[in-house]
Amino acid sequence: MFVRVFSFVAAGLLTGIAIQQAFAFPVGGDQTVLPVGTELNEDAIDLPREVFKSEAIDGRKSYLVNLGDLAFNAPTILGGAARQAGISCASCHVNGASNPKLFVPGMSTHPGTFDTTGPLFNPNADNHTLDAVRIPSLRGARYLAPYGHDGRFASLRDFIRNVIVDEFSGPEPSPAVLDALVAYIQDIDFLPNQNIGLDGKLTSIATEAERRGEALFSKPFPHDPTLSCAACHVPSGAFVDHQQHDVGSGGLFKTPTLVNADFNGPYFHDGRYTTFAQVVAHFDRVYDLGLSSQDRSDLVAYLNAVGDGAQPYERDGSSAEILEINDFSSVLGPAIATHDKDTIALAVDTVGGELRELAERIPDWKDTSVSGGVKERGLARTALKQVVLILRRIDMDATAGRFDDASAAYKSYSYLMAASIPALVSRAEPWSLFTPAVHDAHYAALRQLLQTKNMPQ
Amino acid sequence: MSYTRVVAVAALCIGVFNLAPSASASPLDEAAEHYRPYLAEGITAALKGAKTLQTQVAADDLEGAKAAWLSARAGWERSEVFTSGFVPKLDQEIDAWPNATTGFHAIEARLFGTGDVHVKNDVDDLVAHLTELDGTVRKVALTPQGLLNGTAQLAYEVGESKSDGGESRISGTSLDDMRNNIGGIDFAYSTIFAAEIEARDPKLAATARAKIEQLKALVAVKDLTQIDVPTLRNVTEELVVALQSAAPKIGLGPPSLEPTP
Repeated sequence: MFVRVFSFVAAGLLTGIAIQQAFAFPVGGDQTVLPVGTELNEDAIDLPREVFKSEAIDGRKSYLVNLGDLAFNAPTILGGAARQAGISCASCHVNGASNPKLFVPGMSTHPGTFDTTGPLFNPNADNHTLDAVRIPSLRGARYLAPYGHDGRFASLRDFIRNVIVDEFSGPEPSPAVLDALVAYIQDIDFLPNQNIGLDGKLTSIATEAERRGEALFSKPFPHDPTLSCAACHVPSGAFVDHQQHDVGSGGLFKTPTLVNADFNGPYFHDGRYTTFAQVVAHFDRVYDLGLSSQDRSDLVAYLNAVGDGAQPYERDGSSAEILEINDFSSVLGPAIATHDKDTIALAVDTVGGELRELAERIPDWKDTSVSGGVKERGLARTALKQVVLILRRIDMDATAGRFDDASAAYKSYSYLMAASIPALVSRAEPWSLFTPAVHDAHYAALRQLLQTKNMPQ
Repeated sequence: MSYTRVVAVAALCIGVFNLAPSASASPLDEAAEHYRPYLAEGITAALKGAKTLQTQVAADDLEGAKAAWLSARAGWERSEVFTSGFVPKLDQEIDAWPNATTGFHAIEARLFGTGDVHVKNDVDDLVAHLTELDGTVRKVALTPQGLLNGTAQLAYEVGESKSDGGESRISGTSLDDMRNNIGGIDFAYSTIFAAEIEARDPKLAATARAKIEQLKALVAVKDLTQIDVPTLRNVTEELVVALQSAAPKIGLGPPSLEPTP
């Protein structure tokens, strides 16, 4: 991710525990593209774990999937304010999941929601009302047509194009990039869940409460026996029915999946609910289900079981970042070989941005909030800057048609990324922002500096 | 400060400082000497601003203090090609970030953030450090390699994302910082390296010149939010690549990308 955006906290919210919370990125002053108070949760130490179908079946991600992943992380496929602010698809759909902590003042109603028809990212699409929608997780997207909260797009490809062009002012994406994005998104898998087995039924490890919940889930509604939870959230079909229904939330909305939903909050199209208990209470109320409090609690237990997933988060660290960067840059091999200047440019810009961001997580020697490891930090930062510049050379060579030079430069780049970069960066990690104590000291210093802006005069 | 005005000031200062390089100095060493007056002028301006700041603070004049801070800052930013490589300790004392317990940003936070003009201790420290620096820049050996390093490092840094508002977000002057940095890069390149590179590889010289002009155009926008960030980043990298290519041609080693304190 290219952007380094910070979230600034109003004086009223400042507390001693703030350091652990989403203060990581203060956006300060009035010369920022994103509003003051924006929280992108970019500095999260734990990130959603991304599972790829091609890897789950013991394969490897294809060139197309890697290219799509690259484009997904590229601010330059978007336009306008998003491009300026370094926002990419991955800003909201972190590692192909969602971003429950995301909040943009004026554009979000609850954390994890965003108004895609607002004035910030495409004024031409502004419908002059704050109708923020929750950021959906893309896990299992290939099973979850149609697309959009109201299911307006049958085709994932059309939907993606619409997001890029109409929601984020991006230029018309090339067919190759669109194909790649589709391939990537369709490769994002659900997290495995041992609680559900054949036909979406609970397995033998289920608790009594969960089984009671499961029974309630398929029980016909008292006032309309054609309906039940399972009638729309079909357990054998990823808990969706590919249709739109009005469940009393203000319109016809697509049945959302319950798979891995423990991590997909907030819930409903507008993100109005943060817990399954609230969701169950909604249906109890709207359909007059007459649920006892035991019933509700059992349903919640069942939803928690269905919505679970193995290892939903992964600790972020330099090796995880480098792995991802290497996957992205793998597209350069074929792209240089086929003289594909556009893909080369996209890769150089995006990977260069990621490498720059990685370098910025290793504080420079002037950062007085960190002490120690000056030599290690300097070596790591220098090495990262070197590879950024080698990438830039690749692009300059390709633009000038010097593909042999580009190929040679790519060899140097690959060699460095395989050997010295991981070693140097990992040696500097104890003094980097990946290390919680260092991270907290750095942001405490920043927060203290910016706190002055809001102090009473 | 416009380029032509700077050159005129520099020419005047060469006479004032009477800095005639020794007979054995290479053309690059001589050219590096031509950078000294510009550097000295920047630090002297920063010092003057800081002293004015001292006066305004003593007079409890917040608006006056802010104006003085801005003027001190401009001189400092123009000189950044020199500072981090040649005087790292002073650089850290004057320009610490984000742990700004002293220096420009600590004062900025109070003047522009809180609206508090009671910054006497920090300003006195700043004046002391800039005075020391003012003396240093007149005597220190200006190595072409060191200045190439500084130019490359600063150019690379200009390309870093400022989407968080940048280092001087509280005073809203991050864009001014960038403009002054680029002005400093322009002067350093033009004065010290351009002629030598032109003589060895006119095409490379043209590329470097074009990149600098592009950078100047990219920051000639109304405010920070108007900058074409991705393009700016690319151009800074292209400039650094050009400097890397030029270095061996003018008898210098590859520019180091990080200061070694």
